Amino acid sequence: MIKKYFTILLILLISLHVSAQVWVVPAENEGKKSPFAFSDSTRKAGADIYVSNCKSCHGDPGKNNVIQLVPIPPDPASAKMQANSDGALQYKLIQGRGTMPSFKNTLAPTDLWRVISYIRGFNEKYVQEIAKNTTGNVGSLQNSQIVLTWISESHQIQATVSGLKDKTIQPVSGAEVKLFAQRYFGNLLIDEARNTDAHGAAAFNFPIDLPGDSAGFVKLIARLSNEEAFGEVKTESNMSIGVPTYRAPLNEQRAMWNVLEKTPIWLMLAYILTVLGAWAFIVYVILQIRAISKAGSKT
Amino acid sequence: MSHNSHGHDQNSPKEENVNSRRAFFKNFGLFGAVAATGGAAIYSGYNYEKSKPGSNFVRVLTADNHIIEVPKDQFKDATVDLNQLQKQGREGLKGHRFVMVIDLAKCRNARKCISACQGAHHLRPHEYHINTLVMQESEHTAPYFMPKPCQHCDNPPCVAVCPVDATFKRQDGIVLIDNERCIGCRFCIAACPYSARLFHWEEPLMAESDKGKPYNIELNVPQRKGTISKCLFSSDRLREGKLPYCVSACPNGVYYFGDENQDAVTNGTTKETFRLSELLRVNAGYQLMPELGTKPRVYYLPAKNRLFEFKDDKDPVKETI
Amino acid sequence: MASEVNTDFLNNKKLDSIAADILKPVGISQGFIIWMGFLGISLMGCIYAYYIQWDKGLIVTGLRDYISWGMYIANFVFFVATSLVGMLISSVLGLIGFKWVKPIARIAEIIAVAFAAIAGLVIVSDMGRPERLPYVFLHGRIQSPIIWDVTVVTTYLAISTLLYFLPLIPDLAIAKGRIGHTPKWLQKTYEILSVNWKHTPEQYAILLKAMRILLILIIPTAFAIHTVTSWLFAVTLRPGWDSSIFGPYFLVGAFVAGSAAVVIMMYFVRTNYKLDKYLTTHHFDMMGKLLVLVSIVYLYFNINEYLVPAFKMKTADAVHLTDLFVGEYAWMFWSVQLLGLIIPIILLLFRFFRKPFAMFVISTVVLIASWFKRFLIVVPTQDHPFLPIQHVPKAWMVYQPTIVETAITFGTILLAVIIITILVKFFPVIPIWEMAEEHHESDHTTQE
Repeated sequence: MIKKYFTILLILLISLHVSAQVWVVPAENEGKKSPFAFSDSTRKAGADIYVSNCKSCHGDPGKNNVIQLVPIPPDPASAKMQANSDGALQYKLIQGRGTMPSFKNTLAPTDLWRVISYIRGFNEKYVQEIAKNTTGNVGSLQNSQIVLTWISESHQIQATVSGLKDKTIQPVSGAEVKLFAQRYFGNLLIDEARNTDAHGAAAFNFPIDLPGDSAGFVKLIARLSNEEAFGEVKTESNMSIGVPTYRAPLNEQRAMWNVLEKTPIWLMLAYILTVLGAWAFIVYVILQIRAISKAGSKT
Repeated sequence: MSHNSHGHDQNSPKEENVNSRRAFFKNFGLFGAVAATGGAAIYSGYNYEKSKPGSNFVRVLTADNHIIEVPKDQFKDATVDLNQLQKQGREGLKGHRFVMVIDLAKCRNARKCISACQGAHHLRPHEYHINTLVMQESEHTAPYFMPKPCQHCDNPPCVAVCPVDATFKRQDGIVLIDNERCIGCRFCIAACPYSARLFHWEEPLMAESDKGKPYNIELNVPQRKGTISKCLFSSDRLREGKLPYCVSACPNGVYYFGDENQDAVTNGTTKETFRLSELLRVNAGYQLMPELGTKPRVYYLPAKNRLFEFKDDKDPVKETI
Repeated sequence: MASEVNTDFLNNKKLDSIAADILKPVGISQGFIIWMGFLGISLMGCIYAYYIQWDKGLIVTGLRDYISWGMYIANFVFFVATSLVGMLISSVLGLIGFKWVKPIARIAEIIAVAFAAIAGLVIVSDMGRPERLPYVFLHGRIQSPIIWDVTVVTTYLAISTLLYFLPLIPDLAIAKGRIGHTPKWLQKTYEILSVNWKHTPEQYAILLKAMRILLILIIPTAFAIHTVTSWLFAVTLRPGWDSSIFGPYFLVGAFVAGSAAVVIMMYFVRTNYKLDKYLTTHHFDMMGKLLVLVSIVYLYFNINEYLVPAFKMKTADAVHLTDLFVGEYAWMFWSVQLLGLIIPIILLLFRFFRKPFAMFVISTVVLIASWFKRFLIVVPTQDHPFLPIQHVPKAWMVYQPTIVETAITFGTILLAVIIITILVKFFPVIPIWEMAEEHHESDHTTQE
């Protein structure tokens, strides 16, 4: 009996272990390819992104100085990492798992490919395959661009994507658009990623309480996700749609903790009056010593 | 020069004397002019070299809140000025209220934040601007790791007691320490309920190599013997629009840092940006010892659904000795 | 103190004998040279210790980031506390009209001046950058209790010095012609410091008026000085310091320490200078009563300070109190409470223990205990900050005073003793004119 349970437990454990180790990539992602050719410049750009986003766990490629997490993050130069297809690497960067964060909203698609380009730089045997443009409406358009408009009734931002086909401007349908508001340290995703409709439009609900600058201006950034098809398509726009925000400097009020110039009035008065009062008497007494001396001279 | 001409005088007949003196001055004048021109040329060349737009530009936030790009070499020139550093350091960044959020569910005591901080601020391994503590509220509650930087309180008890205005709170909420001013009375250490301050009991770690460097109040480097040092929210990095050292170094996504005025915080690991209000609301964020009335600028997200098994494998004492 | 002074006593024979008694020990004696030599050489060692600290930094002390205030601060509080007795004896008791304090008043003032003067030095010994002391005046933030403390200590020192000096003026004039046995420079000093004193009624009127101002002014100043010193702790949030009774608690504790110090000095003066005619058993008896009174009040404050939080045992308070009652500091805590407070109270209730020698012994124990009491107020609280002390060397978790800091602390005490010795040895230690006046008045009244 005990033996039976033990076997079941063992099988369970092993299966758990395996599921923890294997990171399954869906077939359609497995085959994805970079829209551009990897070059020295893409590797260089990828290196910068790697240093600020990946190095703290994955270490320096080839030096095997990864941080000891569970599971252990592989060294990018290792055979294990390089065994991934380009599409698999992209999928893993986008999804994240456990301690590996998702870079879906923080790195632009092009930047993801740049990082992959950098990783491939450590594999001499690697031969790149470049993506062919996808089919349909989106693939046939060129010079795509996004235009942002404010719809005040519904408090929405509408992104309209269009491109050139046969020298006429046509709407791009079915393209995924992401909208961000620029903040001091990074870009805040507004609403969620949306696909354009038949008119090339996608509407984003804009939060009613997002602070803008003192005049309410918020800098918006819209970007197409599917860069394999479009290349890097991005637009920026400064709109007065946020909550006008002015907050007083935190050290403005008079307080016990503020600088001398910001002493509370009562304290300043109390201190000065007390000190002056006490020392007036002391000085008076010292003068009395002189008076004593003078009185002595009289006799 | 006049000394030389005198020596010449004594050995010459009178008539010649005058001429030779004149000649001398003439020559000297010529030489002087050449030398001056040459010097000027060299100097202007040097200046030109210095002002030549370099390939490396640095993003700088100006006092009136614009980000401008400045060539790296010029940027360095500006920072040499102690007065400027002191002035901008005491003023702070206009229009911001910096805030940190620490997600305790994600901290596994990797201590990368600590080493990055100590590296940037030239501290020894046991000198902490930020420290990760093993916390346990009571006997039967779960232990967890808690990174603890300075809380940059809005009602800072440490600043209230400083006798010489050495520690102060800036308009952007950051509490700094000026080690050009600090007299080393340690009243602030006594007053801080979060044990967030350290004192340089001996010569600081890099006292030798930092000698002669202009003091940067926003980095508190060079550190100085006999003065206080503390967490600065990496205000030198914030000035450049970058996240603090500890925040960027965390491998586990523990830290969020941002601006309360923009209601946004950015995760140091994933670089993903969130609404501050939402993050605190959804995760039931809290402050450390709010009952003390210190009004901290650091928020914690509770250590529930932890991503890691709590494993205190680092002996708090042995580790640093 | 009478506003009209009867100057008849100046012609009194009694004045001659009083002056002779009191001025006899004035001047340089062999004993004085040996004593000062001993103090001086010891002090050199302590100064060397300070040089080491100056050179190496406060690393030479046992202080670290968590227990960052130790012996120096405890010593500072002790000095400020002891100096307060000047106010209690000469002002409070004097103004109430207790005649017996007259011969003791100057002793109390000497202690006040010496301890207040050295208190400033003690605080400098604790500074990480002592050369920046002027910043306190250049960049002072008047919100900081340290600035209040500096202000009020300076003020107290000034008033105490004047309160020592003013009643000394007539004595210097009386002594001028009677100290032929002392060095010339001392006679010259007397000449200058007696500021033309001719014992005229006008001069007495001015003097008494000035003294009355000081005697009143010193009361709020003395309250302020020790209350503010207590606030250095009470304004923080730490359990053990975060107490609203700290002001009066410190004040009463100061009277205990100060009274003990006065008794010790009285005993030395009485035995060494053969002044038992002036510092009589009656004075010791009265001082004993005073000591027992302030000790009982202090005990009352101790009960308040410890019993109330101990009743509740709030988390942070509980850790602190357990440490004091049964933990690491229990031996020191109970020694201080028993030897410094409870046993002296019991003993001093009996007349037998209010005799000079017994008083001297008891007061010495009380004074030493009161030093350790300050240590107990300053140090254990920092042992348990709100957040745990972790990831630091073991030596950072406990406070172990070093030889260097002990030597520096000892040096400050030596300095106070040197100042006291100089004042006692070169100037009349008992107010001659007031005693003469006293004797004159009390010729017909009872005398013990």
